[in-house]
Amino acid sequence: MIYTFKFQDQIYRISLNKEGKETEIEIEGKKIPVEFQKIDENFYSILLSGRSIGVGILKRGKRIDVFVDGDLYEFESISDREREKTKGAISGVQEIKSPMPSRVVKILKKSDEGVKEGEGVIVIEAMKMESELKSPIEGKVKEVKVKEGDAVESGTVLLVISPE
Amino acid sequence: MFKKILIANRGEIAVRIIRACRELEIKTVAVYSDADRRSLHVAMADEAYHIGPPAPGESYLVIEKIIDVAKRSGAEAIHPGYGFLSEKEAFAEACENEGIVFIGPSSEAIRLMGDKVTARRIAQEARVPLVPGSEGAVSDTEADIVARRIGYPVMIKASAGGGGKGMRLVRKEEEFKSSLRMARSEARSAFGDDSVYIEKFIERPRHVEIQLIGDSYGEILHLFERECSVQRRHQKVIEESPSPAISSKTRKKMGETAIRIAKAVSYRGAGTIEFILDQNGNFYFLEMNTRVQVEHPVTEMVTGFDIVKWMIRIASGEKLPFVQEGLSINGHAIECRVYAEDPEKNFLPAPGKLEYLRTPTGPGVRNDSSIYSGYEVTPFYDPMLSKLIVWGETREEAIKRMKTALREYVALGVKTNIGFLLRVMDNDEFIRGEIDTGFIERHPELLTSTGSNIEWALIAAAIGMRNSAKEVEISGQTPVSNWKLFGRKLAVSRNTMI
Repeated sequence: MIYTFKFQDQIYRISLNKEGKETEIEIEGKKIPVEFQKIDENFYSILLSGRSIGVGILKRGKRIDVFVDGDLYEFESISDREREKTKGAISGVQEIKSPMPSRVVKILKKSDEGVKEGEGVIVIEAMKMESELKSPIEGKVKEVKVKEGDAVESGTVLLVISPE
Repeated sequence: MFKKILIANRGEIAVRIIRACRELEIKTVAVYSDADRRSLHVAMADEAYHIGPPAPGESYLVIEKIIDVAKRSGAEAIHPGYGFLSEKEAFAEACENEGIVFIGPSSEAIRLMGDKVTARRIAQEARVPLVPGSEGAVSDTEADIVARRIGYPVMIKASAGGGGKGMRLVRKEEEFKSSLRMARSEARSAFGDDSVYIEKFIERPRHVEIQLIGDSYGEILHLFERECSVQRRHQKVIEESPSPAISSKTRKKMGETAIRIAKAVSYRGAGTIEFILDQNGNFYFLEMNTRVQVEHPVTEMVTGFDIVKWMIRIASGEKLPFVQEGLSINGHAIECRVYAEDPEKNFLPAPGKLEYLRTPTGPGVRNDSSIYSGYEVTPFYDPMLSKLIVWGETREEAIKRMKTALREYVALGVKTNIGFLLRVMDNDEFIRGEIDTGFIERHPELLTSTGSNIEWALIAAAIGMRNSAKEVEISGQTPVSNWKLFGRKLAVSRNTMI
């Protein structure tokens, strides 16, 4: 079985084949025998030609999170059809969304104002801490959907930026 | 000794206090907001009372509600923990008026040390060094005179300031005039007030604090120092004791200085004097925290002294049976604060459901927390998940032990700073003890994962995908009975629905 994962805009393909008792991993052309055991619902022991590691695994729909040695790897499992669609970098109209329930502290860009890639567009506050959200593209502000002082939910669209 | 204590707090510190009470055979009363019904402190206490909605302003910060629960439950004393009402003079006063013992200093001591200007004056009268600077706001001419007197580099700070606005660092005299003009203009637009004051700029300052404990009979002891220089957003993340930066001579002097300040306000209970330490070993008074500190466990680990228990004993009228000369530091302890936050996004808090948790154990490892698999990290309170504390014979051993412990940690469902903490433990400057309050800013590379385990992670992801698919397949077979079908459905939903 071949799995395709997206991680930080990179596509990885890995195949996992089971023949009898043996399971084999094929990763970037390398074939390695692998053995694994489920310790509990989310914790696995993996042996890879003598090397051993314990990992946390959490599957949520298409998302699969892996926790190894303090670091969280957030993979998105994608089918071959979706893979075709996601080709090409970020383009088109971009929505700046609130990453968590928070309060709008300051709107840094007005409607129709030009923005550079990586430039801060809005400041939000959650749990006494402020953070600045940045534009992923160069363009101009198409719409500001909130006002200063607004309380917003996680995922609320705050600003819309169009490329031009 | 008290028979029953109310804990006016939540989270890990409430759990910590409940544990101390259990050992002292004191009954505990918890209070909780709507967001905390499933919190561990509620389950662990002997009694628990609901006090309102999640917002602290409507529950944990409402003095009348807490006092009311204390009266209803018959609690004789209240432990405030840290944060919330712990440094509110009005709360200590309300307890005093109601005949309930406040486990902490007098309301008078809280008032005196809580006001920055008064605290500075008390420190000055106790011959405690302060960061050299002007006495409050200055005119342009006065500013120039002060800057020359204290010597460059100097900081110009907005009197109404905060958050770095209206703040200017001046390294040379010829830059002073223009910097002063700019600082005033920034202060005017940010705060509507252009008054500024001048302070000596401390290069690469360290934050070192002294733990104090005083009884009701005038005895005040110091339990040595904690180094708290590793900070992000002006908040401590890693603390240790002893400080790798001070000599035994400085330690003694710092301890005696801290005791002088505490004696000036007849301090009772646990308290901390914070100092700024410069690169030449000079230290200056910053402020006093009139409560138990988040990082108190590192002191407990190296002194063997149970700070929380002694706070309770002292409040009940016990005398400290120790003398300063009898106290010493044994080994080295480090604390890492594990947060639900995203270091890559400027440590943005990351609330959500902690789906899975595995915590480290082993010799010299202590994990103070109140979380569990399934715990909801809410946006209402501090996103700290736990305090991981280790003890080692030496600093080197403590760092290695911390690395081992951090690697044992598994947290799924929310983002955490565990990887960041591990990278700090691997940083050469940190290992050499060359830390100051600018350490994290100087090392942005610590914020992002090196991705060194991507191969393992990919294999794990594939295994995770395969296993969840396999289990669906099994349950797809013709069921024998409806009960079995139900059971299998449950097993599948555990895997795929979370």
